Amino acid sequence: MLARAGGGFGGLALAAMLEREAGAASNPFAPKLPGHFGKAKSIIWIFANGGPSQVDTWDYKPELQKRDGKPLDGFDPKTGFFPGSVGPLMASPFKWKQHGQSGTWASDLFPKTAMHVDKMCFIHSCWTSSNNHSPALFMMNTGVTRMGNPCVGSWVTYGLGSESDSLPSFMVMSDPLNRGLPKGSAANWGAGFLPSVYQGTWLKPTGQPIDNLAVPASLKPGRQRAQLDLLARLNREGLAGSPIESELNARVESFELAYRMQTAAPEAFDVSKEPEHIRKMYGVDEKHCGHFAAQCLTARRMVERGVRFIQVYSGGMENQQSWDGHNDLIGNHSGFAAESDQPVAALLSDLEQRGLLDQTLVIWGGEFGRLPISQKAAKPGRDHNPHAFTVWMAGGGVKGGYHHGESDELGFKAAVDKVSVHDFHATILAAAGLDHERLTFKFQGLDQKLTGVENPKVVKQVFA
Amino acid sequence: MQRMCLMVSGLVWISAVAGVGAGLPADHAQRMERGLKAFDEHIAPLLKEQCLGCHGGEKVKSDFDLATREDLLKGGSHGSVVTPFDAGKSLLVELIEHAKEPMMPDGKPKLAVEVIAKVRAWIDDGAPYSAPLVVGKKPKRDASVVTDEDRQWWAFRPLQKVAGKSIDELLLKQAKGMTFNAPADAATLVRRVYLDLTGMPPTPEELKAGMAEPGKVVERLLESPRYGERWARHWLDVARYAESTGFEQDYDRPHAYHFRDFVIQALNMDMPYDQFVKWQLAGDEYEPTNPLALAATGFLGAGVFPSQITENEVERTRYDAMDDMLSTTSSAMLGLTVGCARCHDHKFDPFPTKDYYRMLSTFTTTTRSNVDIHPDGKITSAITTKKGKDKDTPPIPGATRMMICGEGYEPIVMHTQGGPFFDKTYVLKRGNPDLKDGEAAQGFLQVLSKPGSEAKWEWKAPEGAKSSGRRRTLSNWITDVEHGAGALLARVMVNRLWQHHFGTGLVPTTNDFGKTGALPTQPELLDWLAEQLIANGWRLKPMHRLILASRAYQQSSGRDAVKEKADPNNGLFMRRVPQRLEAEAIRDTMLAVSGMLDETMFGPGTKDENSRRRSLYFTVKRSQLIGSMVAFDAPEPLVSQGERPTTTVAPQALLLMNSPQALAWAEGLAKQVAGAGEVDKQIAAAYAICFSREPGGDEVAAGRDFVSQGGTLAEYCQVLLGLNELVYVN
Repeated sequence: MLARAGGGFGGLALAAMLEREAGAASNPFAPKLPGHFGKAKSIIWIFANGGPSQVDTWDYKPELQKRDGKPLDGFDPKTGFFPGSVGPLMASPFKWKQHGQSGTWASDLFPKTAMHVDKMCFIHSCWTSSNNHSPALFMMNTGVTRMGNPCVGSWVTYGLGSESDSLPSFMVMSDPLNRGLPKGSAANWGAGFLPSVYQGTWLKPTGQPIDNLAVPASLKPGRQRAQLDLLARLNREGLAGSPIESELNARVESFELAYRMQTAAPEAFDVSKEPEHIRKMYGVDEKHCGHFAAQCLTARRMVERGVRFIQVYSGGMENQQSWDGHNDLIGNHSGFAAESDQPVAALLSDLEQRGLLDQTLVIWGGEFGRLPISQKAAKPGRDHNPHAFTVWMAGGGVKGGYHHGESDELGFKAAVDKVSVHDFHATILAAAGLDHERLTFKFQGLDQKLTGVENPKVVKQVFA
Repeated sequence: MQRMCLMVSGLVWISAVAGVGAGLPADHAQRMERGLKAFDEHIAPLLKEQCLGCHGGEKVKSDFDLATREDLLKGGSHGSVVTPFDAGKSLLVELIEHAKEPMMPDGKPKLAVEVIAKVRAWIDDGAPYSAPLVVGKKPKRDASVVTDEDRQWWAFRPLQKVAGKSIDELLLKQAKGMTFNAPADAATLVRRVYLDLTGMPPTPEELKAGMAEPGKVVERLLESPRYGERWARHWLDVARYAESTGFEQDYDRPHAYHFRDFVIQALNMDMPYDQFVKWQLAGDEYEPTNPLALAATGFLGAGVFPSQITENEVERTRYDAMDDMLSTTSSAMLGLTVGCARCHDHKFDPFPTKDYYRMLSTFTTTTRSNVDIHPDGKITSAITTKKGKDKDTPPIPGATRMMICGEGYEPIVMHTQGGPFFDKTYVLKRGNPDLKDGEAAQGFLQVLSKPGSEAKWEWKAPEGAKSSGRRRTLSNWITDVEHGAGALLARVMVNRLWQHHFGTGLVPTTNDFGKTGALPTQPELLDWLAEQLIANGWRLKPMHRLILASRAYQQSSGRDAVKEKADPNNGLFMRRVPQRLEAEAIRDTMLAVSGMLDETMFGPGTKDENSRRRSLYFTVKRSQLIGSMVAFDAPEPLVSQGERPTTTVAPQALLLMNSPQALAWAEGLAKQVAGAGEVDKQIAAAYAICFSREPGGDEVAAGRDFVSQGGTLAEYCQVLLGLNELVYVN
């Protein structure tokens, strides 16, 4: 049915988008499902790529500190990625302290972000189904461990539509320091069987962020406008009486949208326009975090311009080039925390001071957690752990300073109020006012859902 | 797409009836009496109030239904739910006692202690029902058994003998008194046939020749090598063709392009379709020394495969790889979503899980391999491994390295903590390799097999052969019109031909002829065409001739409000709907009209957007798909794709406005028409090249205005390349 859904669908989508003021009913970018929880109009997902360690960031485990160096009885060496490097329990090497009214424990990896704990809502009992990066990334992004399904961002834009007439509604930023894309690359923001208008637009980290955005230097000022005027004039002759008039008309309009995008997109990406105190707050000119600061600041500018879903990846592809701290946990996690701490803290402050935090859901998390035991090395690290990890959310109507679920006393496995990836996805959709049971798309004769069929549950407790 | 079903349909039930029958308690009768009383007084109202909302009424969550006792005892996706006469072993009790998740009743308070005690007592008494909880509810059919009723689904029946002599006659019979639109004019028709058969418009000279002798156009184009290039692309979509592994590293498969070249050659030589299918499944078993037959097996190997596999993923990954081969085979060749039966008997079609695994075992020892074809015809294995130190076989002078997918050659090895395959394939419960349920002997879909024909299909590999013979056995079944799946094979293929000539298939869901797909709009015509294909020795070119000669194909696309109202989806084909060209044909058309096309055929592809070769020679690397192709809806090559969407989005316009390629095409077109004379003549020459017609007075005036206001000829030509008329087949 894809072709039927797609046949002229994009045309319709665009036509309707342009006719928004006239209130077109058939607009697939128009809001579909009135929500029951959420206030989020936009979502910013800081994806800590590679799997940050819960027991070294936001999930404090005094028992682990006590049992440093002891073996973990009954541990299955196949849990992680390197069965041959299994070490004993390893206390978190970072310093822990309580913060805020909520008394939230946090390691000293995030001194600035920790100042916002009373805005943040933590889920400590997440678990996933793969111990390997790309299946786990696909799981976290699409709800399935294999390639080719629509990601959360595509479902959200499919469900909520776009508020921008001149920018893509779903954008993705990856590591700009040449450390690679997340494993599985574009399949992490693909639209799968949803129409391709809902796929994420990946902004190239270097050069032009979007292909073909710049007017050719060879064109004199005003010439492109003259070209588009001629194009419209000539195209119009063929429209009347065509059996596919609306599709052809949408194509005429697509050139006008493209023309507007040429100005709107570079403007949105240009953080040099921001006042000095804002740039300073994010750390745009700091060597250690400037690249990530610029991305977080861009994310806020996108939210202001009506972009629905923004994903920012912290870290690149290969081990040690991301949060994947197999060796030298201290060096690895300290490095990536230092890159992101100030920008993320600034993003939360900035959204709040602009009154945008209520309607913007900020998510922080990776594709799995890390083991409480060490991975043996000269400087030890931690191996993958699918059984427990922590994510946090802020804004969009979630409860600040709230902690949901628990991992066991060592932070090894989710133990209390376990939250599956599907539950987490259902909760994200709920935050955006979408009902995961009703957000469906007909494909291969079935009503497909992001959250599958195994009775996923919205974690209702996180909403204020 | 098969995968979607896995996600949605959940897991299989496990039979829970063990213990009933053999080991009934001695006081069975008394217990039943007590249980029935409890059922009527307490249990039925409780189940209706607390459970039926999700498990048996409108919904059946987790595949668990308790509307009837039979359903209750079948259990759901979590396995057995109730063990009669033994509450202690019943999952239901653990769930309502909140000893296990998902805690029940879902989202409601825990049941009172005394209520739970009543449920326990009722189960200990055998969990009897006095009546179904839902009136009129019958126990679900047993999906593991294929019945005669199942065989009556239209797609599984033998081809019907259709009284009729032509496409037009059969269409008009169904047309509710309507008739075809008037024939399109000669120029439109010549252009339509060129775009359909070659993916590029005629040059002004070709148009002239075609209009002078319309009878020769089709023959000339079917003989053109451009035909195979155009139609190969359609097959590459359903074959999820790509030249890299996907997943983490997305390694290149630099020797995979031979499959693309095989498809082009097979189409150009009009290889019979049954042979085309046989070679793709088992070319190495048919002609082990014929490079073209070996190249055909690239079909099985074109899917994604992880390049980094942990020890506990090795076996599941192998089942995934075999599933990719089986699912693609069944979608592409039979239009069936067999992959859905991996975890449970198919929800809608009569494909029991056992059938799935028996078919899957065809591929038990099938792997991707690189082979070297030496100048003297000798064929040797090339080692390709990502494991450990670089041990790859160095290139052999004069030899061609080719990726095939067969048996008996060195498998290509990734970073894996296990071997390339397992010696046996098992039936798996819920698709889980840890839940093996006996070895799966090779077999096929029962619903498409006449019982007792197995010996006819079986091919025993000769002594000393490298392979098991199982794939050739599969290919015998799939092409057997009388006893196997051959009738469906023919239906699916003629439907694809129709789709690419008319924009929509006679079965609009070209990859799904099962119960979740659409019904044929013209069942008689579909079967008639399938008969014609078989009668023509499975050759495709006679089918093109048949279709292109029909009034249905040749009618004009003028608008008709009456027909649109009577037949909004045009399932009667009494009018023509213009179609936008696909990504490849759009770019090829640009190259053709700009005079820049490089017609070099075959060989390794390129990822360079500035290439002047036809678009099907772009290297398909899964993580680096070509921007200009993706922008115009070229599919992601992950699973078989029967139909492409047609979207209209801003990046397409940006490409035509700003890309260096668009500027070069405009320059090329300008160069071609610059010598035509003054502006009006240049405009006329450009219209002839781009649109196969003369410009109207207004069009000339508009062009003249543009140029007189300072626009260059190239800038003008770029505008023409952006016009709808260039990319829509009228």
